[in-house]
Amino acid sequence: MLKKVRIMLVFILFAYLAGCANLGVKPWERDLLAKDEMALDAEGNDLGLDDHIYFSKEATSGGRAFAGGGCGCN
Amino acid sequence: MESESFSIVQQNDHIVGRFTAMASPCEILLETQDLILANHLTSLAYSETKRIEQKFSRYLSNNLMANINHSEGQPAVIDEETFRLLQFADSCFELSEGQFDITSGVLRSAWKFDGSDNIPTSETVKALMSGIGWHKVKFDKKSITLAKDMELDFGGIGKEYAVDCAAKLCSKYAPNLSVVINFGGDIQVTQPRKNKQPWNIAIESPEANKATTKILQIVSGGLATSGDARRFLLKNGKRYSHILNPKTGYPIENSPRSVTVAAPHCIQAGLLATLSLLQGANAESFLHQQGIKFWCYR
Amino acid sequence: MQLTSQSNLTKQTKKITNVNSALAAATCALLGSASVVQAEESVWEMDTALLYYGETDRVTAVEGVFSAKKDFGDEHVFSGKLVLDTLTGASATGAVSQPNAQTFTRPSGKGQYEINGGDVPLDDTFKDTRLQLEAQWTQPLWDDMRGSAGVHFSKEYDYLSVAVNGSLARDFNQKNTTISAGVSLAFDTIDPEGGRPVAFSEMVVNQGQFANDQAYQVAFDATRQKDSDDKNTIDLMFGVTQVINRRMLMQFNYGYSTSDGYHTDPFKVLSIVNDQGVTQSLVHEDRPTERTRHSFYWQTKYALDSGVADISYRYATDDWDINSHTIDSRLRFNISDNTYIQPHFRYYQQGAAEFYQPFLMEGSMLPTFASADYRLGEMTAYTVGLKYGMKMPSGNEWAFRLEYYQQDPKNAGFDEPGVLQQLDLYPSVKAVIAQISYSF
Repeated sequence: MLKKVRIMLVFILFAYLAGCANLGVKPWERDLLAKDEMALDAEGNDLGLDDHIYFSKEATSGGRAFAGGGCGCN
Repeated sequence: MESESFSIVQQNDHIVGRFTAMASPCEILLETQDLILANHLTSLAYSETKRIEQKFSRYLSNNLMANINHSEGQPAVIDEETFRLLQFADSCFELSEGQFDITSGVLRSAWKFDGSDNIPTSETVKALMSGIGWHKVKFDKKSITLAKDMELDFGGIGKEYAVDCAAKLCSKYAPNLSVVINFGGDIQVTQPRKNKQPWNIAIESPEANKATTKILQIVSGGLATSGDARRFLLKNGKRYSHILNPKTGYPIENSPRSVTVAAPHCIQAGLLATLSLLQGANAESFLHQQGIKFWCYR
Repeated sequence: MQLTSQSNLTKQTKKITNVNSALAAATCALLGSASVVQAEESVWEMDTALLYYGETDRVTAVEGVFSAKKDFGDEHVFSGKLVLDTLTGASATGAVSQPNAQTFTRPSGKGQYEINGGDVPLDDTFKDTRLQLEAQWTQPLWDDMRGSAGVHFSKEYDYLSVAVNGSLARDFNQKNTTISAGVSLAFDTIDPEGGRPVAFSEMVVNQGQFANDQAYQVAFDATRQKDSDDKNTIDLMFGVTQVINRRMLMQFNYGYSTSDGYHTDPFKVLSIVNDQGVTQSLVHEDRPTERTRHSFYWQTKYALDSGVADISYRYATDDWDINSHTIDSRLRFNISDNTYIQPHFRYYQQGAAEFYQPFLMEGSMLPTFASADYRLGEMTAYTVGLKYGMKMPSGNEWAFRLEYYQQDPKNAGFDEPGVLQQLDLYPSVKAVIAQISYSF
C-alpha cells in the first residue's frame, strides 16, 4: 500500500514536470489574468516615473523597458 | 418560388417557416406579420443550415469532411470555421476528460442500435479502438492531420451549431425581432418576445417506446436534447444505450435515455446534455452541479 | 488501488463544477460572441500623475505626466505621453569634502560658490525644465503577430534626445506564451552652458590671480570645447511572457544596449589630493566614449484572492564593470471592491565602474578615464513606500503614493589619506517621493 502511494507520488511529480510543456490556461480560465491590475504594464505612469528617477540616480537602467537614450538628468 | 426548399405559414401572432435539413424537421418561428421579412429570414436560415450540412456531413463524398476523413494520414487543409469547431471539440474533450471524442464515430460500424440483441464481439470493438483518440489528432489554423484509420464526426455538435448560426444570422438581420430556431428539438430563441410571453414549442419527447408530443415554454436562450429512447440494444435483459464510451468502445451504463438542457446557447445546452449522458448514473448530479435547468428521462 | 480510484473521483468532482462556465466560454469562442454583442465605441483612457521628488538638502523635482491611450478597433492602439518636469537644487560635484572651506567656479564660468569645511561639495545652480513627448502605435501584423512603433522626444535646456523604436510580438500556445523582440535607436545631443570641459582640465578658480576679467575668461575658455557633442544608443530587447496558471504570469527580458559618444557628465569634477588628503586642484572628469550593457529581467505577477503580488529581479552588467542587482516588489491588497493599498519595496545594489575614483592622488599618473560621480561608485539603495488607490463610482480612479528612497554609497576599497579619514566621503542621499494620480 505504502509502495503504491510512493509510486503514485512519483507519478504525480513526473506528471507535474511533464506538465511544464503545457503551462498556461484555457481561454475561459483567464478571469484573474484579465484583470487590469494583472497587466504587466499596469500603473504605467508609476513605472515610468520610477524608471526616470532611478535612471537619474543610479548607474543601471532598463530591463523592464529600453535602457537607452533619455535625458541629461542629474 | 422557393416552395420546394421551404414553406411559410402565417399563424395568429407569428409566422412559421419550415424545411427539412440534417435529417430533421426544421422550424423558424418569427414574431412578425411581415411575410417578406419572414421569407427572407427563413431563406437565410435555410441556406446557412444547408451550407453547414454540405460542409460537415460525413455522408457526402466530396465535402470538407470527406477530404479530412480520407486524408490517409496526410495533413488536410481546413478553414477558419472548421478550426473554431475543432477548438470547441477540443475543449469538450478536455472538459469531459476524454469522454466526448469526435473521433469515436468509427464505433458506429460495430454498434447498430436497432433495438435488436446484436452486440458486437469484443474483437470487433477492439479492432476499432486504435482509430479513436482525439489526443492523437494534430491541428492548427491551417490544417488537420488524422492517423490513417481515424475519422472525424461532427454529428454530436453539428445540428446545435447550425441552430446557433441560423439564430445569429437572424439576429444580425433583424436585431429587434424574436425568432425561434427549432431543428428537431434543438432550439434557440434569439430574444424574448415583445410581450415577454414565452414561445410554446412542441417537441417530441421520448416516453418508453412511444413518441409523445410535449409543449415546452421558452422565453429566451437555447435548449437541446441528447439521447434517443428508441435507439438501444437489448440482450439477456440488459439494455445497451447508444451513448458509447470512447475509452472502452462500449455503451455507457446506467445513463438516462434522454436529457434536455436549457442554456444561453443551443450548442452549450447540447453539450451539457451529452456530457451528462456520459456520466452514466451520475448524470443528474452532474446536471445539478451546473446550476442549469434540465429534464431527465430514465 | 483504493487510493487511485478515490483520487480520480475527487478530481472528477472538482472538474465537473467548472464545466458549464467553461462551456459557455468555449461557446462564445465558437460563435464569435463579438458579433453578438454590439461593438462598444472605445474611448480615450487618460492617466495623469503629479510627482514630487525631494532630497534632503539637494535636488527637488516636480514632474507632471499626462498619458492617453485609445483602441481604434481590432487592437489598433495609439498611446501618447507628455511629461513635463522641473528640477532645482544642489547636486554633488564629485569633489571630496575638506576640513576647510572650498571655492568652486560655476559650470557656466560665471560666478563662484563656497562650500564650508566638512560639507559635501554640492553645486546649487541646478535648474532645468524638461519636456518629454512619446507616441506609440501598436497593431496586429500578418496572421498572428503584433507590431509596435514609437517615437520618443526629450528636450531640456542643454540636452536633446530623440529616439525611435519598433518591436514585434507573437503569441503561441493559445496566447499563453508571447515572445517579443524590439529595437530602439536613440540620438542624444548635449550642449551644456559654458561648453563641455576638456578632459582632466583643471577647474579655473578666480582667486585674484588674474589681471582682469578678460584674462580669467581666456583661462576659463581654454578648459572648454564650444561645440555640442552627441551620443547614439542602440537597444535590443528580447522578451518571453508566459502564463503559468490561472493566477500566475511571468516575464523574462534580455536587454542589450550599446552607446557610442559623449558619456561624460560635464558638471562633474575630481579632487586631486596630496598625501595629507588636502585638495590641491580640481579636474573635470572624463568617461569612456562607449558602453555596452546587458540586462536580465524577470518579473512575475500573481493574482491573490484579493490583490496582486508583483515581484521582479534585474541583473545588469556592462563593460564599465558596473554590475547591479535590483529587487522590486509591489503587493496590492484590495481593501474593498473600490479601494486598495499597495506597499512597495525596492532594493538596489551596484558595484563601482572600473574608472570610478573618489579622488585622484597628486603626483600619480592621470588615468585614461576617471569619474568621482557617486552614481558610478559602489552603493546600495532601498525604497519603501505605500500607495492607496480608490475607484470612484464613475469608474475614474484616484491614487496616492508616498515613498522614501535612500542611497548609501560605499567605499569600493580606496585608501583615504590624511584628513579625508575624518570626513564623510560617502554621504547617504535621502529622498521623499510623493505622487497623486488620476485616471479617467
